[in-house]
Amino acid sequence: MRTSLGMRILVLCVHAVLLVGALFMVLPMLWMLATSFKPPTEIAVWPPQLLPQAPTLDNYTGMFVVAPFGRFFLNSLGVSSVATLSVAVTSVLAGAVFAKYRFPGRTFLFMLIIATAIVPSESYMVPLYIQLIPIGWINTYQGFILPYLIMSFGIFLLRQHVSSAVPTELLEAARVDGASEWWILGRVITPLSGPALSAIGIFAFIQAWGAFIWPLLVVNNQLYFNMEVGLTAFQFKFSADYGKLMAGSVISVLPMLVVFLLLRRRIVDSMALTGLKG
Amino acid sequence: MTAYAIEGKRRRVWRLSRGGNWRTILFCYVALAPVLAIFAYARVYPIVWSVVLSFYDWNLIRARKPFIGLANYYRLFEDPNFLVALKNTAIYSISTVVLSTLLALPLAVFLARKSRLSVFYQTVYFLPVITPLVPMAIAWKWIYDYNYGILNYALSLFGISPIAWLTDPNIALWALIIMSVWKVLGYNLVLFMVGIRNIPAVYMEAANLDGASAWQRFRFVTFPLLKPILLYVLVTATINAFNVFTQVYVMTLGSQAAPGHAVRVLVFDIYQNAFQYFKMGYASAEAVTLTLIVLGFTLIQFRFARSQEV
Amino acid sequence: MGIGKSSSQKLNRRTVLKMAASAGLVGVGGLGYGRRAKAASDVTLDIWTGFPEVQPFYQAVAADYAKTHPNVKFTFFTTSLRETEQKLSASVPTGTGPDIFDIGTNISYNFIDNNLIEPNPPAIDKYLKSGAWNKFVVEFCTVNGKTYGLPIWEGSKASMFYNKAMFKDAGIANPPATFEELVAAAQKLVKTDSSGKMTRSGISLRLSGQGSGVTEKFRYMLEGAGGSVVERTASGKYHNNFDNDKGRGALQFYVDAVQKYKIDDPKVQHDADAFASGATAMLFREAWVIGEVQQKNPSLDYATAPIPKWTSSSPNRMLLQPWPIYVNGKSNNKDAAWEFVQYVTNQENSLRLTTMTGWVSERQDVDWKPLLDKVPQFGVFVSPPKDMDYYVEPILGPWDEIQTKMADRLVKAYVDPSLNGNPTKVADTIHEMAVEADNLLKDANLYGTT
Repeated sequence: MRTSLGMRILVLCVHAVLLVGALFMVLPMLWMLATSFKPPTEIAVWPPQLLPQAPTLDNYTGMFVVAPFGRFFLNSLGVSSVATLSVAVTSVLAGAVFAKYRFPGRTFLFMLIIATAIVPSESYMVPLYIQLIPIGWINTYQGFILPYLIMSFGIFLLRQHVSSAVPTELLEAARVDGASEWWILGRVITPLSGPALSAIGIFAFIQAWGAFIWPLLVVNNQLYFNMEVGLTAFQFKFSADYGKLMAGSVISVLPMLVVFLLLRRRIVDSMALTGLKG
Repeated sequence: MTAYAIEGKRRRVWRLSRGGNWRTILFCYVALAPVLAIFAYARVYPIVWSVVLSFYDWNLIRARKPFIGLANYYRLFEDPNFLVALKNTAIYSISTVVLSTLLALPLAVFLARKSRLSVFYQTVYFLPVITPLVPMAIAWKWIYDYNYGILNYALSLFGISPIAWLTDPNIALWALIIMSVWKVLGYNLVLFMVGIRNIPAVYMEAANLDGASAWQRFRFVTFPLLKPILLYVLVTATINAFNVFTQVYVMTLGSQAAPGHAVRVLVFDIYQNAFQYFKMGYASAEAVTLTLIVLGFTLIQFRFARSQEV
Repeated sequence: MGIGKSSSQKLNRRTVLKMAASAGLVGVGGLGYGRRAKAASDVTLDIWTGFPEVQPFYQAVAADYAKTHPNVKFTFFTTSLRETEQKLSASVPTGTGPDIFDIGTNISYNFIDNNLIEPNPPAIDKYLKSGAWNKFVVEFCTVNGKTYGLPIWEGSKASMFYNKAMFKDAGIANPPATFEELVAAAQKLVKTDSSGKMTRSGISLRLSGQGSGVTEKFRYMLEGAGGSVVERTASGKYHNNFDNDKGRGALQFYVDAVQKYKIDDPKVQHDADAFASGATAMLFREAWVIGEVQQKNPSLDYATAPIPKWTSSSPNRMLLQPWPIYVNGKSNNKDAAWEFVQYVTNQENSLRLTTMTGWVSERQDVDWKPLLDKVPQFGVFVSPPKDMDYYVEPILGPWDEIQTKMADRLVKAYVDPSLNGNPTKVADTIHEMAVEADNLLKDANLYGTT
C-alpha cells in the first residue's frame, strides 16, 4: 500500500490523539497506584499531587492487619472463576440454540432473557434474598454466587456471534455425517465461538469480581467476603482511609487485568474462521 | 473436520431439515433447561414478585401491605424527582450510547490488528472498564476541578476561561456523560474487535484487489458485517446506560461534588425510594416503569435491525 | 482446516480453566463446611455495626468480656453505614439478623413500630435512667413511655473548629461568640489569589453535595435562630416551623455568606479535608475531625469552641444525635446480649470508645481527664458548657425525606444570584420548601396545626 505524505500526517495525528486519549484512560489508575504508596499526611493535600513525596509500603502491609484480605482475595478469585465458567457454558449453550434452531417459544424466551437484564437488580434484590431464606442459602457461597452464574448479555452475544460466524452449511454437513446435535454444539459451534466466549469470559469475570451490593446483603460472615466488600472496611462514616483503600484497589484490579490480557489474545489474534475453504 | 463414516441409516434423513423435527426441538428444550431454570429462580421469580409489589404499599419492615392498585404509578408521574430523573437519564443514556459507539467503532477498526502498539492501546483503553469506582471518582473530581483540574488547565492554554464542570448544574450532567463514555469505551472496543475479527479475510482481500480505499472497505465490507455486533453494542449500551447508578452516585458524594438534582438518575431514585424512604411498592413501580421504557427502546432497536437485514 | 487446531487449543485452555474452577469450588466449599462443634453452654453473639472504624473497639471490648464470660463467643460484621442499614432492613424482619446492632433512629423507629425491637428489660431501663445519661438523651430513647436501646455514642454535638494560627495572623484574639462576630472574622480570614479566585474560605459551609447532611448543617443556623424544621403540636401532629423570620434569616445568612460577604465559595475545597490542609479557617463539624487532623496534618494549630450564638441574647445550642445500640427482638440470646450491651456502655468502655475511635461517648459521668490531657480539642464535645441548650431530631417516618428534599432546594438557593439582596425571593424560597415539607407530613398522616 502506498503511503502518501498526507496519509502519513493523518496517521501521526491519529497517533497523537490516541496518546492523549490514552493518558486520560490511565490517569485514574495512575492516581490510584500513586496514592497507595502515600502516607496519610499526603492524602488531603489540595491540589492533589500525583507522586508521593515519602512513599511507603505501610498501606499494603497495614491492610492485612485490619482484615483478612488474603482470604477476601481468594474468595473473589474462587467466585469469579466459577461464575465465569458457568456464564461461558450457559451462554454458548443457550446462544447457539437461539441462533441456529427454530422451536416454539424461541422469540419469547429470548426476549424474556433480555428483559431480565433490563430490570435494575436493586429492585429484585430483596425478593431474591427472601427466596433464599427457606432453602438456607443466606450467608453461604451458593447464595453469594447464584445471581452471577448466568448473564443475559452473554447469551445475547453468543447468539449474535453464532448466527453470523457459524455457517449453517457446516452444521448441515455435520448432521449428514451422522453427528448428534450435542456433538455439533461441542465440536463445531463452541470452537468457532472463541472470540465471543473470550469477550464474555472477560465481562463475566469483571462482573463477578466487582460484585458488591448483593454479597453485602446475603453474606454476614466475614470469611465469605470478597475484595469489594472487604474494602468497605476503609470507608468510615465521614472519611476514608484512602491509602489502604487504594492499596486494596490496586491488588483487586490485578486479576481482572490478567484475565483481560490472557483472553484479549483469543479475540484479536485468532484467525478469521469461516469453516469454509477460502 | 474429521471424516465420519456415513452409515446410511434411514434416520439420517430426518436430521436434514433444520427445524420442525421433534427430536431437534426436544434437544433445544433440554439444552436450554438448566439455563432457563437458573433464570427462572434467580431472575424471573424475584422480578415478578417485585412487579406484584408495585401494586401495594409496603415499607419493607411493616407486616401490613395494603393493596393500592395503580396508585403508585399515578403518583410517579406527578413526582418531580422521578420526572427529573427520567429526563436526566434519557439525556445521559442517548448521549453516552451514541458517543461511546461512534468513538469505539473507528478505534476498533484501527486497533484490531496484531502489533505491539495495538496491544498497548487495547489494554490502556480497556483500563477504565476495570478501574474501581472510588479511585475513579476521586481522579475525575480532580480532573474536573475548577481551580486545579487538568481540563481547565488545558483550556487555559487555548485562552478559554475555566468551566465549573461539576459544580455548575447545567454542565454537571455532561461532565458525567464524558466520564461515562470514558468508562465504557473499552467495553465497546472489545466487542467491536470480536466483530471485526469475524470478517473473513477473503472479503477484505477481494476488496483490496478491487482497488477499494480504506473508507470503501469499511463502508462496504466491514460495516455491513458488523451489524449483528453493532446491534448488540447498541442494545447493551442502552440498557446499561439507563441502569446507571453507582458511577454517577459516587460523583455526588463529599465536597466538590456534583449537585444532586442535576445528576439524579432513575436507579438512584429507585434506590433512594426503596432503601432510604422504605417505599418498596413505590420503588417497584418505578423499576417497572423504567423496564418498560428501556424494553421499548430495545424492541425498536431490534425491529430496526431486522428491517436492515438483507 | 483451522478447526482441529483451534479446538485442541480451546480444550487446553478450557481444561485449565475447569481445573482452576474446580479447585476453587472445592476449596471454597471445604472452607464453608469446616465448623467446630459447639459446647452446650456456648453462646455466640453476632454484632453488626455500620461504622467500620468502631469494629476494633467492639472486638477489644469483647475480648475483655470473654475473660470473665468464657462461654460467650462473638462474631462481627461491619460495612459502610448505608449498606448496613439496608442489610438490617432486609434481615431483621425476616429473622436472619444479628443479636446486637447499633443503628440510627431512622431504621430503629420502624423496627420498634413493628415489634422487632422490644422495650428494655427493667434492669436496663433502670440503668438508662441512673443519671449516666442526660435527660434529653433518655427522652430520645423513649417511645410511648417505654425505653428502647442504650445510647452508645453521640452522632453530632457539632461544634466549631478554628485554626488558631490563622486567627493569630489575622489579629483576631478570640473565636467568635456570635454570628455577627463570625462573619466579621471570616471576612478577615478569607484569602484570594491575584485573579480573585478564593484560595481559603473564612468558614467552610456545607454548600453542595447530596442528602440530608446539607439540611442538618442548615439547621445549625435555623435552630440557633430559634426555629426548627418541624414543630410538634400538643396532639402529636407536626407542621413546618421555618416559614418565618428565623428560616428566612438562616437562608439569608447562607446566601449572604456566598454571594454578598463572599466568605465561602462552592469551588474551594471543603469540609474536614479542607480544614486539615489549611483551605479554610473555620468549620462546624463533629468530633471525628479531630481524628482526621491527627492523621492528615498532626501539626495543625487548632482549637474547638461551641457554635456561636445567633445573637448575643440567644442561647448556645447544640445538636444531640444519640446513636443507640439495640438487642434484636428476634435474637435467641437476648439475656446474654443485654448483659454485653450493658458492659460495652459502662464508664471504662465509654472512655475507651472515644479514645480509640474518636466517636464521643454519650455518657455524662465519665472522667475525661486522661483523654483531654492528650487531646484538649475534645473538650467542647465531651464536656460542653453546663448551660448548653440541646435540641434533638424528631422521630418521624418522613424525616429523612423532608430533610433530603429540603437539601435539594437549599443547594440550588445558596448559589442562586436572584436571591442576592432580594429578601422577597428568599422568603418565597423558604415558603416553597415549607409547603413541600408540610405535604410530606400530610402524606404520612402526620400533619396538624393543633
